[in-house]
Amino acid sequence: MTRPAEVKVLEGTTPGTRFDQFEVGAKMGEVSFTITPEIIDEYILAVEGDEKLYVVDGRMAAPPDVLCVYMTSTLYQKYPPIQGIIMCEVAFGYRHPIWRDESTEVRLSGEVTDKYVKKERKFVKWKGRYKRADGTLLAEVENTFSVPE
Amino acid sequence: MAHDKTQSDEKTRQHKVRMTQEKIDRYGKLNGDNDILHYDHDYCIQRGFRGTLAHGMHNMAPAVDLGLEKYGGDFFYRGQVSVRWTGPVCPGDEQVTVLDAEDNVVATVANVPGKGTATIMIGKSTLRKA
Repeated sequence: MTRPAEVKVLEGTTPGTRFDQFEVGAKMGEVSFTITPEIIDEYILAVEGDEKLYVVDGRMAAPPDVLCVYMTSTLYQKYPPIQGIIMCEVAFGYRHPIWRDESTEVRLSGEVTDKYVKKERKFVKWKGRYKRADGTLLAEVENTFSVPE
Repeated sequence: MAHDKTQSDEKTRQHKVRMTQEKIDRYGKLNGDNDILHYDHDYCIQRGFRGTLAHGMHNMAPAVDLGLEKYGGDFFYRGQVSVRWTGPVCPGDEQVTVLDAEDNVVATVANVPGKGTATIMIGKSTLRKA
């Protein structure tokens, strides 16, 4: 089992990354973690998920958004966060279930795709891909957040 | 039951959930997010918010469930959820998330001082074409 905190750099533990330090095109290293049935149960409890929805052809699956809690791991390992980051937009494309009756090793990697200033706020955009250890694509994500400075 | 999910008709689905600091903390404990915005009320007031902020991804979860409710198992293979957060959800707020017939998602909270009902998230919860 990998708790998200084990693969994330926490806010406040390092000086954090300023807006000017984000580099468009920078690749973020692959982060590996294991999603277990226990993590899935904890996630469903946290979001008050509806258990009956998480079934595919009779087999129990995880809510696909369980991946959210690991999302920033690859980003923050390359660019440690500063306090006050605000999530602005996210898009997930789900490609394969994560089964609830087994542990799944997941690998997440990504790259910074854009940074810009709009109405005096500073934004960073990046995208990532979640894959199983056997290479099966689980989901793609694109995220924009603002950096307070 | 902490939340209420209803299918108001064949085309529009709705999800309601009441946010509390306990729920924000529970999500944060799992998420591993130590951002001060989620637990320091005074800091959030200084930044101009009404209180601490729920995690955006936490607010997004109903949009995923509504997509699953509409599309079933296909959503695990072709589900597309895209949202933009336009306002915060704070402790005490009831988030109402609606998925309409065109797969548009709009989430609101009521009784926001100076605004009344405020939209906190917009987007889509749909299927990618096969």
